[in-house]
Amino acid sequence: MTEFIQITVGGVLVGAIYALIALGFSLVYRVTNVINLTQGAFCILGALSTYMLEVEFGWGLPAAAGASIVAITLIGMLVGAGAFVPGLSRLSNANMLMMTAGMLTLLEGLMLVVWGSQPYAPPPFMGMEPVHVFGVLVPTQGFWIIGTTCAIITVLWYLLARTTFGKALRACAENPAAATLMGINVSRMQVFSIALAAMIGAIAGVVTAPTTSIQFDTGRLFTISGFIAVAIGGISSFPGAIAGGLLLGIVTQLATAYVSSLFSGAIALGLLLVVLIWRPNGLIRAGTQRRQDVRDEPRVWKHVTRLQPRVRTVMAMIGLALAIALPLFVPEGGIMSSLVIAGILFIALMGLDVVMGYAGQVNLGQAGFMAIGGYTAGYLATQYDVAPVWGTLAGMALSLVAALALSLITLRLRGLYLALATLAFGLLMDSCAVGLADITGGPSGLVGIPSFAIGPFDFGSPVAMYYLVLGLLVALMLLLGGLIRSSFGRALQAIRTDQMAAAALGINVVRCKLIALSISAILASLAGSLYAFFFHFLSPDMVGTSRSLELVAMLVIGGEGTLVGALFGAVLLTLLPTVFQPLAQWKTFASGGLLVLSFLYMPEGIFGSFARWVAARFNKPAKISTSPVVSHV
Amino acid sequence: MKSIPAIDVRGLNRSFGGLRATANVSFSIEQGTVTALIGPNGAGKTTVFNLITNLFPADSGEVYFHGTRIDGLSPVQIAELGLIRTFQTARVFPGMTVLENLLVGRHHKVREGLLQQMLWLPSAQREEASLRARADVLLKLVGLSRYRDTHAADLPMGAKKLVEVLRALMAQPSVLLLDEPAAGLNDTETAELAALLLAIRETGITILVVEHNMSLVMGIADQIVVLEAGAVIAQGTPEEIQRNPRVIRAYLGEEVSA
Ligand SMILES: Nc1ncnc2c1ncn2[C@@H]1O[C@H](COP(=O)(O)OP(=O)(O)OP(=O)(O)O)[C@@H](O)[C@H]1O
Ligand SMILES: [Mg+2]
Repeated sequence: MTEFIQITVGGVLVGAIYALIALGFSLVYRVTNVINLTQGAFCILGALSTYMLEVEFGWGLPAAAGASIVAITLIGMLVGAGAFVPGLSRLSNANMLMMTAGMLTLLEGLMLVVWGSQPYAPPPFMGMEPVHVFGVLVPTQGFWIIGTTCAIITVLWYLLARTTFGKALRACAENPAAATLMGINVSRMQVFSIALAAMIGAIAGVVTAPTTSIQFDTGRLFTISGFIAVAIGGISSFPGAIAGGLLLGIVTQLATAYVSSLFSGAIALGLLLVVLIWRPNGLIRAGTQRRQDVRDEPRVWKHVTRLQPRVRTVMAMIGLALAIALPLFVPEGGIMSSLVIAGILFIALMGLDVVMGYAGQVNLGQAGFMAIGGYTAGYLATQYDVAPVWGTLAGMALSLVAALALSLITLRLRGLYLALATLAFGLLMDSCAVGLADITGGPSGLVGIPSFAIGPFDFGSPVAMYYLVLGLLVALMLLLGGLIRSSFGRALQAIRTDQMAAAALGINVVRCKLIALSISAILASLAGSLYAFFFHFLSPDMVGTSRSLELVAMLVIGGEGTLVGALFGAVLLTLLPTVFQPLAQWKTFASGGLLVLSFLYMPEGIFGSFARWVAARFNKPAKISTSPVVSHV
Repeated sequence: MKSIPAIDVRGLNRSFGGLRATANVSFSIEQGTVTALIGPNGAGKTTVFNLITNLFPADSGEVYFHGTRIDGLSPVQIAELGLIRTFQTARVFPGMTVLENLLVGRHHKVREGLLQQMLWLPSAQREEASLRARADVLLKLVGLSRYRDTHAADLPMGAKKLVEVLRALMAQPSVLLLDEPAAGLNDTETAELAALLLAIRETGITILVVEHNMSLVMGIADQIVVLEAGAVIAQGTPEEIQRNPRVIRAYLGEEVSA
């Protein structure tokens, strides 16, 4: 019993930080309708800068913590004013979410450059010796955590309920138009809400850091846990966010103690998925229901470029010729391998483009399918000598099954909850890859995977692999191109913006989404298998959530909804670190930064912009016939 | 002899919170006619459309389509039967050209399977070409050919509404429900719309139209149903409705005084 209480106390402490992050999410969401995924990074920024000032520069704790919190609040303000608020008027909610994922990556990249990738363990505020409370051991830091959490909740409640500032903030949340008429500067309030959330995040980070070890990308885990907490508790309610955080903390701690530490992540995700099936809008519901027959995203739309068939064919031919000739000019080695990797990732990206670019369904778990494909093929090849082709096909079949299972959950979900469910799927695959060590080799990876081979022909060298991938890409491009430019492709595009109008025209939305996700999963699985055969090795972080987010970045930077665009993103993000070796540690920063910049300034991506230029130059103006007569049918 | 009505609505009720959006609404529509559903703002006209197409279920009541009961079917199934609607706020699909918007309308009638489309087989190509030809004819009919390859979201309001009507036509409906198709149209465009609707009726398609523009309604409707505060207060030919004192008080009177 004492043990149980002990663990529960630990759970409450962990839950407190989740609750604080969830609170930050909820605050920003209520004012802007967007989940700000950077929240977790604010915690780590706060913790790491406090550590630096306190331990390395020798400032006292109060000065170090104070300075850090002020600095992070300013960073929050900068993020809000520089990217978040400008994005609000230009991007759809789903894209806003992706952009904040980009900002998270950017801040992580910044921390990687400043603090490196090693873990830090900041000292507790008041010594290591835990205190006995009724026979339960509580670390002194625990009191700080609980005290701070209560203080923040009280202050936030007072701020919102009792002050003019709070009233203005609530007015923005309830009705931005009315708030504007009342003379409230809505954009400024939105920036404030983000800065306030950043401050809460920083305080939470400073206080909790001593109980865990932190490194540049721990913020991602905090963000995800906070995200799960709000999903469980309901995003637009503060008490819900707090309850969700505490529940999540307690459940994960109990699971770690009584089931297995390797699967505690999986159990939290299982909890989330159950909640999403049972109550797609969270356990605690708040706010009014929106009218269903009104489109929910009346945001600005980017240009639509259509290249004429003639122009398209010429471009495709030039591109293909270049691709075939490329190995003649590129030395065997790093760059050649990077090109192969970019090509392999592009296979997964084509799938992602079908789901995200065309059907508009956010997918933050694409790498999960890569993991299924990679591990299945790798395991079969290493354990049972199964030929690579059969292993790859088996992986694709398994991915298809996983995709169908995932759709059972996701088909009813939209926007935020869809993003969350796919993210959870990716994480679930992550924790399976780590947990099922007998099959996957655990955290250290699966070694000794052979090269890809078809019959007696072995694709051991990068050049051979290059041509194999190129052949596959051409075939896939033709197949998907045919699908996209015909009726099915148009149905997907209709679903992207207006499911209800699509359904009213007789488009079977569920079926279309199911097919799109299946295609995407199969392609990701194929990419995962090839990836494993190419590296002769596969570890969880090669096909983990960072990979999923990187794929999204590649897609957006290259150009969504263009099928070919993602290739440019993949080549860019894969080649840059290879070409500029000394700058390799800036890779994360650059990938996040480019994602944010593309969203804000080049929403059509590299290829989209290029295609628009080509269309303006080479498309023949259409012949116009005007005869506005309605007299005959 | 009375034929089976194209649409038969019996006792539809639906409340939102305390608000009774439709109260015991019943009416029926003869095949091949134009029926106008009119009433002041908030009378529940759009709600009637939403209930017929089952965007949300009715609290009680029945809907028959050519004699088959359709309440309870999904919106997709209802559309597949040939009952197609447009929306009050023009809902063209952004991110697609005008032509593509029209082609989407025909999606549920496309016979070629996924594989044929993927491989771009001759049969799939032929079908695609015939769809495009049909869409071109419709665009030319209403004088929108010059917008064929324009981003649909960039069109002026009036053109968007027309595109939506054409998109619905592409679906080869037997009954067309139009929610305020003339909103945002200027007088010439409204006259063209009237001609288009009559032409559509000529081809045998039944039309139920919600409209605030009285001259349009009086000009094309064979039958008018008047809603006020969720209830049907009158039903009849344009002449009868114009003479109905209750309607004049509830609806037209308001218009005169405005
Ligand atoms: N989904 C919904 N949720 C809540 N209330 C609704 C919903 N749909 C309609 N209402 C309410 O029902 C009433 C009737 O609305 P409806 O849109 O059907 O009116 P209408 O006759 O189409 O009006 P208008 O001429 O303005 O289009 C209104 O008071 C509206 O606010
Ligand atoms: Mg209406």
